[in-house]
Amino acid sequence: MRLCVVFSKGPEVRFVSHLDVQRLFQRAFRRAKLPLAYSQGFNPHPLISFATALSVGYTSRGEYLDITLTEPMTPEEFKDAAQKALPEGINIVEVFDLGDSRKSLTSAMRSAEYTVKAVFDSPVTYNELKAALDELLGSEIVVDKKTKGGIKPTDIRPMVISADIAETDGCTAYFNVSGVLSAEGGLNPEMFMNELLKKLSADAALETERTKTVLDRELLK
Amino acid sequence: MTEVFLNGILKKVEKPSRYTGGELNMRVKPLVRDDGSKRARFALCFPDVYEIGMSHLGSRIVYNVLNLRDDTYCERCYAPWFDMETALRENGIPIYSLETKTPLARFDIIGFSLLYEMCYTNILTMLDLAGIPLRNVERGEEQPLIIAGGPCVCNPEPLSGIIDAFVFGDGEEVMNELMDAFNDAKSEDLSKRELLIRLSAVKGIYVPSFYSADYDPDGNFSALNKTEPSAPESIERRIVKDLDKAVYTGDLIVPYMSIVHDRVALEIFRGCTRGCRFCQAGFIYRPVREREMDTVVRQCDESLDCTGYDEISLFSLSSGDYSHIHELVPYILDRYEDDKVSISLPSLRIDSFLKDDLEKIQKVRKSGLTFAPEAGTQRLRDVINKGVTEEDLLRSVRDAFESGWHGVKLYFMIGLPTETDEDVLGIAELVRKVSREFYSMPKELRGKGLRCTVSASTFVPKPFTPFQWEPQIPTDEVLRRQALLRNALKGIRGVEFSCHYSETSRLEAAFARGDRRLSDVLVSAYRHGARLDSWDEHFNKDAWEEAFTENGLTVEQFANRRIGKDEPLAWSHMDSLVDPAYFIREHEKAYAAVTTRDCRKGCNGCFGARSLSVCGRKGGD
Repeated sequence: MRLCVVFSKGPEVRFVSHLDVQRLFQRAFRRAKLPLAYSQGFNPHPLISFATALSVGYTSRGEYLDITLTEPMTPEEFKDAAQKALPEGINIVEVFDLGDSRKSLTSAMRSAEYTVKAVFDSPVTYNELKAALDELLGSEIVVDKKTKGGIKPTDIRPMVISADIAETDGCTAYFNVSGVLSAEGGLNPEMFMNELLKKLSADAALETERTKTVLDRELLK
Repeated sequence: MTEVFLNGILKKVEKPSRYTGGELNMRVKPLVRDDGSKRARFALCFPDVYEIGMSHLGSRIVYNVLNLRDDTYCERCYAPWFDMETALRENGIPIYSLETKTPLARFDIIGFSLLYEMCYTNILTMLDLAGIPLRNVERGEEQPLIIAGGPCVCNPEPLSGIIDAFVFGDGEEVMNELMDAFNDAKSEDLSKRELLIRLSAVKGIYVPSFYSADYDPDGNFSALNKTEPSAPESIERRIVKDLDKAVYTGDLIVPYMSIVHDRVALEIFRGCTRGCRFCQAGFIYRPVREREMDTVVRQCDESLDCTGYDEISLFSLSSGDYSHIHELVPYILDRYEDDKVSISLPSLRIDSFLKDDLEKIQKVRKSGLTFAPEAGTQRLRDVINKGVTEEDLLRSVRDAFESGWHGVKLYFMIGLPTETDEDVLGIAELVRKVSREFYSMPKELRGKGLRCTVSASTFVPKPFTPFQWEPQIPTDEVLRRQALLRNALKGIRGVEFSCHYSETSRLEAAFARGDRRLSDVLVSAYRHGARLDSWDEHFNKDAWEEAFTENGLTVEQFANRRIGKDEPLAWSHMDSLVDPAYFIREHEKAYAAVTTRDCRKGCNGCFGARSLSVCGRKGGD
């Protein structure tokens, strides 16, 4: 059977890379003695796949993975057993049965929402931020993207679904950013924020949390 | 240190999880005990980056030994990579422990593991980033006690100006005695000097400041004199007699990032009975002590349960020599078959008969195979007492190829005592035969293409080996022999050649056999920018040259000089338990190309008069 697991990644593990998160889950599920299904071949590994990667340094409240088991378990049983074996900072939010669906989670993924905390070197006002943000969103946002073929200018504006200011307080501001996220790629919210900082001619330390990954659950049925 | 501040830095460095801690099974303890007393704080430091330090079994054991004590909290710290060192300096952040992010200077004791001479400058980096004076004479009462342990302690002299006290030998018992002495001294409010006097009374602990050295008119070491009457004449290496009763690693910390040895390491025995004459480990871990199979299996169960690893390494200096190896391998494979646990056997000797075991291992997962013939001709293999023949090697690789392996690594050494060009070319001949062995098999029976990696390191004479008096060959000669070999290997199918950069081997030789004066050289080299010297691409040749010149010394006088057998050795005050006369006998036999048998087949008397007490044998024939 195949289960979908939604989990959060807290500040304790924000610097654990995607590859290391994958390994972390494999080991945790082994410790929990869950009935894991393995791939065939010389290097068998548990059948676990992730909807998408999270950038190193980000926290998240909604990451998705799916796992194939050799024996049936209820989502609740799975959640209890797995949570006990997970390290601090990784919490299971939700588990649901994927039934007979063979669709990958990635193919059902549509977008993601982020909050970005920006700590500026000097105080900024809401109006300054708002003006810069409106200007940024009002036209193309061309950035130099590193691709296999070298650095390529790319317009990331179509990837931005929405962006607004949630709160400002002296040097600190919080932004809500929503962007496209699919199998073909997605918005890098800090890349977008850096363009905003350029508009403001300001420097800020950014802390990003993915608050939600949006999947078309109908597609998974 | 604020978290946001540290996060900002970690975002910018490579592999930030080197510096975050918080791994599964990391020990967490309050700093104050229930009775209100403070725990002694111990920072276990490894002078190399996290992924190397975390792969060291000895440190994992010491971490557990110390944390099993209720009166002690042991935390970890590793050397920062260049980017992190720069970031710490630029932001004025002192180097900190992974467990509680406490600056190192706030610890009671800082302990370094000494595994490799080329890591010595990293000790200075860590002390410097902690704001602790580098030299022991410059540190006052308020500074932590700086200690060191590990195999390099068998010649501690190059670090004698840095470290306060060295621990010689197995740490399982002596670390407890050290902590007892430390805590007593603390409760009695003793000075650091009084504490060091107490420590030097513990068997196996060496306090270098209680001795001073003399040099002869030629500038060579001539004598070590006691300056503190209570200090011992010689420091006896500590050994744990019964590994089944000894404390092991406990719940293993499971790193997030991938480390060099990313698996459960189970030490099946300590010591080695073979007596290869170049191999320091083969002498300084004697006598051989095996763990019972029951103990190994129990530790397997516990380690897999608490980590979720899917690989076990049956670890020792020569795993094929374990008395129960043919029982243990199939037993473990069967036991964990459903869990898809694979086994790796490091340090397999060519003459181990393991074909059946290898085939079983192969069933679960393919891991690499490494063989170390060390020398290219039988004559030279007899000189070094490797005790393996060409037949052994060819049979082993044939077995491996027939079992489906197509990748093998072959380790050799260049510059062994008595080596001639014929011996160097013999390496290529042997490799050619290995390649033929593979390609002469029917296509359908062998794996894809042969991947035979030949590596040739440079021989480094080490203390407490029969070759301790031998010079290392000069750099240009190393390079000439490497070129000779590279040329001879050209055109052999499926073979790739890699060899070690000779400048680091030369420094390694100097520091392995060096005396006290090298402490000053080390500090100079650090000041001139030497860092992470074991990473060839970062090796700073100029810094080291300046450091030696500044101190009126040369690398050659330590690395490339033949030491007379009647000369005092800079490490003679360290008692490795092996009889010094034994090394002389073995040296003579080497030059006569006479081998010495594996001591499992009969005692060779290496412990001399102490045979019975150290090894339990009567000694000699």
